[in-house]
Amino acid sequence: MPTIEVQRQLLPILGSPNQGARFFNPELPSSEPFVPGHRTCAGCGPSIQYRMTSKAAGDNTILVGPTGCMYVANSSYLCTPYNVPWAHTQIGSAGSFTAGVAAAYEAMIRKGKWQGKFPNIICEAGDGSASDIGLASISGALYRNHDCLIICYDNEQYANTGIQASSRTPYGGMTTFSPPGPEVPEGKKLFPKDLARMMAAGHPHCYVATASVGYPIDLMNKVRKGLNNKGASYLMVYTPCQKGFVYETPRSIDLGRLVVECGLYPMWEWNPEKRAYDYSFRPQTMRPVSEYLKLQGRFGHLHAEHIAKLQKFANEQWRMMGVELPEALIQAADAKNLVNMSAAAEAETVAQTI
Amino acid sequence: MATAADVKKRMVRINGCVASAQAAKYADVDVIAAYPIRPYTATMMALAQMVANGELDAEYIVADSEHSQLSISHGASSSGARVFTGSSGVGVQFAYELYSPISGSRMPVQMMIADRTLDPPGDFGSEHTDALSTRDMGWLMGWSCDAQEAFDNHLIAYRIGEDPRVLLPQMVCQDGFFVSHITGDVELPDTGQVKEFLPPYKHPYPLDPRHPVSHGPQIMPEQGPPLQLERARAMEESMPVIEQVHEEFAKIFGRKYDAWLEEFMTDDAEVVFFLQGAHAVTARFAIKHMRDRGIKVGMVRLRTIRPYPTERVREALSKFKVVGVIETNMGLGSVSSGGVLYSEVCAALYESDKRPLVMSFMAGMGGEAIVLKEFYWMTEKLMEAQKRGKIEKRTHWVGFEH
Amino acid sequence: MSTKGTQIPEWLKVPFAGITPAPTQEKGQDLFPTGNWRSIRPVYRDKLPPCNNACGTNEKIQGYLDLVKRGKYLDAYALIKEDMPFPSVTGRVCYHPCEQACNRGKYDEAISIRAVERFLGDLGQALAKDVVKPGKPNGKKVAVVGSGPAGHSAAYQLARLGYKVTILEKSPKAGGLNRGGIPDWVLPQDVLDREIERLVELGIEIRTNCEVGKDITWEQLKKDYDACVLAVGLIDPNSVRAEGENKDGVHYGLPFLRDIGMGTSKVKLGARVAVIGGGNTAIDCAREALRQGAVEVTMITVEAHPQEMPASPEDLHDMLEEGVELMHGRAVTAVLGNGRIEALQLHPAKFSGAINASPINVDKEAKPERFAVDNVIIAIGQRASLKWLPDEFKTERGTIKIDRFGRLGDTNFFAAGDVVQLGSGQPLMVVNAVGDGKRVAFNLDKVLRGEKLEPRTIPVDVIFDLNRMNMTYFPHFPRVKQELLPPTSRRKTQQEVIQAYTEEQAVEEASRCFSCGTCNACDNCYLVCPEPCIVRDVRSNGLYKILVDYCKGCRVCIEECPTGCLEGVPELDFETGVVRMDTAFAISPGLHGRQAEELKHLGDRATKNI
Repeated sequence: MPTIEVQRQLLPILGSPNQGARFFNPELPSSEPFVPGHRTCAGCGPSIQYRMTSKAAGDNTILVGPTGCMYVANSSYLCTPYNVPWAHTQIGSAGSFTAGVAAAYEAMIRKGKWQGKFPNIICEAGDGSASDIGLASISGALYRNHDCLIICYDNEQYANTGIQASSRTPYGGMTTFSPPGPEVPEGKKLFPKDLARMMAAGHPHCYVATASVGYPIDLMNKVRKGLNNKGASYLMVYTPCQKGFVYETPRSIDLGRLVVECGLYPMWEWNPEKRAYDYSFRPQTMRPVSEYLKLQGRFGHLHAEHIAKLQKFANEQWRMMGVELPEALIQAADAKNLVNMSAAAEAETVAQTI
Repeated sequence: MATAADVKKRMVRINGCVASAQAAKYADVDVIAAYPIRPYTATMMALAQMVANGELDAEYIVADSEHSQLSISHGASSSGARVFTGSSGVGVQFAYELYSPISGSRMPVQMMIADRTLDPPGDFGSEHTDALSTRDMGWLMGWSCDAQEAFDNHLIAYRIGEDPRVLLPQMVCQDGFFVSHITGDVELPDTGQVKEFLPPYKHPYPLDPRHPVSHGPQIMPEQGPPLQLERARAMEESMPVIEQVHEEFAKIFGRKYDAWLEEFMTDDAEVVFFLQGAHAVTARFAIKHMRDRGIKVGMVRLRTIRPYPTERVREALSKFKVVGVIETNMGLGSVSSGGVLYSEVCAALYESDKRPLVMSFMAGMGGEAIVLKEFYWMTEKLMEAQKRGKIEKRTHWVGFEH
Repeated sequence: MSTKGTQIPEWLKVPFAGITPAPTQEKGQDLFPTGNWRSIRPVYRDKLPPCNNACGTNEKIQGYLDLVKRGKYLDAYALIKEDMPFPSVTGRVCYHPCEQACNRGKYDEAISIRAVERFLGDLGQALAKDVVKPGKPNGKKVAVVGSGPAGHSAAYQLARLGYKVTILEKSPKAGGLNRGGIPDWVLPQDVLDREIERLVELGIEIRTNCEVGKDITWEQLKKDYDACVLAVGLIDPNSVRAEGENKDGVHYGLPFLRDIGMGTSKVKLGARVAVIGGGNTAIDCAREALRQGAVEVTMITVEAHPQEMPASPEDLHDMLEEGVELMHGRAVTAVLGNGRIEALQLHPAKFSGAINASPINVDKEAKPERFAVDNVIIAIGQRASLKWLPDEFKTERGTIKIDRFGRLGDTNFFAAGDVVQLGSGQPLMVVNAVGDGKRVAFNLDKVLRGEKLEPRTIPVDVIFDLNRMNMTYFPHFPRVKQELLPPTSRRKTQQEVIQAYTEEQAVEEASRCFSCGTCNACDNCYLVCPEPCIVRDVRSNGLYKILVDYCKGCRVCIEECPTGCLEGVPELDFETGVVRMDTAFAISPGLHGRQAEELKHLGDRATKNI
């Protein structure tokens, strides 16, 4: 049996949309593997991500859809909006089904049973799948370095089953499994897993990055970097969910920016060659967490002490990124300073360009 | 890389695990999903060495759990690769979530199961409950009784499962230790014979960027029943294919197996044992022993339990006066308060004009061999029932009763 | 065999193992035309940017800035030339109402539009042949009286419409206020000459030293031409009505500058010069005085402080940098001296009304000041000289009487420029005159073609509110500054004080333009749609399309449109194409009917099409 060398695709990185003062998106690939006519909610953050990811990946792609909104809402009544091959798999099988597809193609191409360039294999797992039930399978796939890209579209909850808490739900995030009440005023007491860092720290040979729908070109470039990486890659994307977060639907992209600007979702890349984190991403502005929280109904029950805790958490993320904290944000981490409403208003005027 | 090409037929002495590994090698599988659990692990160990030696070109994946093994297999099979995986005992159950999706999506994944008693407690001996607990999930399933049959069953199962008229996953089962770890004489075939018997795997709708399809989208509620109907149809319509394939196998390899049942010394038997798996070997010895002493006893061994050969079982067993079902499995709280085979035998016999008496024996549990004394005891029970004209009770616990 | 004898009805046929063919990229998934979910539809609607709106001649400023961003300088130049004949002039002299209106001014600093226009105008001047061609001759002849900005503009537009145009200019050189009212260190002579050349290239005849009322009469104009545009400007300077104003050494602003511009000046300034007036002409006079040899120049204004002065703040700043002194709150009540000016008598004064065209209240009771000067230049505005005009067409204010279209009664005479804009509330600027001349040219053309003149009725949506755009896409960037000659060296030379942009600077500055309310094909809406249901073949304004069959009305595109071009319109406001939802699964006409059709054919599609 002859052994055939596996040819892989190399996708070009897109230019930045910010050319000096001018905002102008670069030329985007024309292929649209994700077509309209799917039952996701209006303004669905994961849909936005899905569209951008599939556009960045192109036509020689296989998509894997573990159970979640991007399975149930996207595919309904025996149809799907994917113009590339797509398969449903179990919620816990995110990494392993993907590994199976990747292994199959390695073997089939090598053994001459399939001709063509190695397809992009992308798994789109929700955070419930990636952080909880499918954690082991994803870790296995990354450890074994199958040539695939595993994306966690992080809407910080189990959305499809009606909004339940996952291990990615933020502290204070209301869900039907973490409702606020007199016994539990903050609703959710636990801080989330730092899933992306787990993946980077545990599998240093993989390309791992965080991204957000608030920065579309950056997201598409990270998808391409992940696909170009010969081996496993993992991308954690912040994708707001209108139903769970309770905000006005036009703000989906805006929330994606705000969450980064207030430090709750740091944007970084793990470089597998250098074995180091790249923390150089800087958002335009630095904001206190209250500016992000106040736009969402799921945080409406929080008191000053809870907001202060979240600010403290955000401050720790800024420190990790190597950003110097302005005094106002340090003050905002102390609940005493937030109880007085004018002090909160002062904290809000922090917005500064980094 | 040299693979199973250009290898000539030869005799080897190997155990069931290695026989299964050899079968996978001859089938030129593309993806192997491994995860250790006794006693089937030896199959995967053998395959690992074969891949390392260059005898087999396959992606050898050490999965992170049995659930992952089956998911990997599902993904690989969906992409058009021939897949081999396996497990034992609670490992089989750990992967449970995947069995219905794999059979429902018509992916011919093959799973080698070396049976092991389910926890608790930790017992490495063989009971069939592990595989049997998945019997409603839509996989083709059957037991081998020795290493040669194990080797043959793997090839036969690929051929049946991948047939475009069938496209169903298969569990090729063998008793842990009794088959998996006891060596026997196995004839390994010519690769040419395998090529003739087993064509390459080709799924009609794989995950292929050149012909995009979607596997397993959500449905409208009313689309549920027809999909289930089609699954049932697939299972039923596999039956003629199973028979045809066994005939082809006999023609090419020279070993003839009945697709459904092995009937041993049943010609003038009045009482028979009904069982599946390795205990048939000791049963054959015991029956010969008893026949030499003039006892008219025989054995019917069930080779394929899914799809269940209802008519064949009915025809075969109606001839006898008493049927003793040997259960090496647990059906807690079941009809017979014993095992699983009993109810299916009775259901098969229900429409029959001549219904034998049916009783069941919990024997060989926990991986214990059924010894000659116990066969005599069971036969006595059968003959007593025949004389009495009715059974004493539905289930006897062999070794724990007088 | 349980399935023996079973039959699945046609409408419930399901594909093999639930495996379905993929949809195409050409159309969406027909099973879910989700357009009927929305209550608000996004619509592309270009608004009028405030710069276009504020420009006296409504140049398509946003348009040409966008072309410069993309490096298409020639297209940008051609776009300006549609409304403005001499961008290299206005690029130097205009007081840029566009920059005042620029929305970026509310955000960080307004776009330096004038500098970009100058860059493009100079680029256009360097072309061997201009991009503008004369229109197909229509056999009609038009006279344009006056070759200043209004006349130049009217002649230019008329030539493009195919008229045979003759400009009649009283001065020896053409150019009007451009020539005679603006110093060389703002607008060099050769730049203006080149623009006049361009007029000649368009087939326009220019007759200098031809004064209406002297060299040609009203009747002759009526007889020799099919129509006429009177752009005679305001050439008689106003007087301060002070005693002794007729002494030697007293000069008036515009004539002072004009003679220098024409090359016919015989004025020799002494060491100390005063300039009366607070407007732009006064400033130009003060700065010109320095260059003409004056040592000390003082500007004396009635206004109480600089903010009240009508002069452009930049020019005022440059003037002060050059060393001119500024005195406020005084009026000249007498010119003192023996036959020749020796000093001015000043009294405190202020404007009686809110604007500085209102009468001045001089406090005659207060002690007068004596201010010693060698010359005084009085620059407090001009009047029209209309002796040649039939009285029926004169207004009380001393301007020409016109209707709202610039027409004199129902004759074929039209008037444009300062001569009709004085007292109208509009500041007297070159660009306003150009706009006036252009509009009058089009109105004239309509009249000659027998078309009815009608006022504009369509309401215009000018976008001022930054909240209608998305500022997160525009980080703060400072304005690119034009280089200036060092203040101390300026008075020694007639060289241009403000330097031109380089190409890089022009592009950098144009890139700061928000493109207010007007799509500039940034592709952001296309990129962020979740469906996606925004399509375009070409990245160009006007070629983006919303697929209304699928748009769910999430309005992310509207929110993320940086320019505010996209708007949300309530769905029920549309007459056609409204998509309504009857019930969840209605088998009825319309989109749900499409859905029902699709469901019926599910089974066939699956097995056949793969």
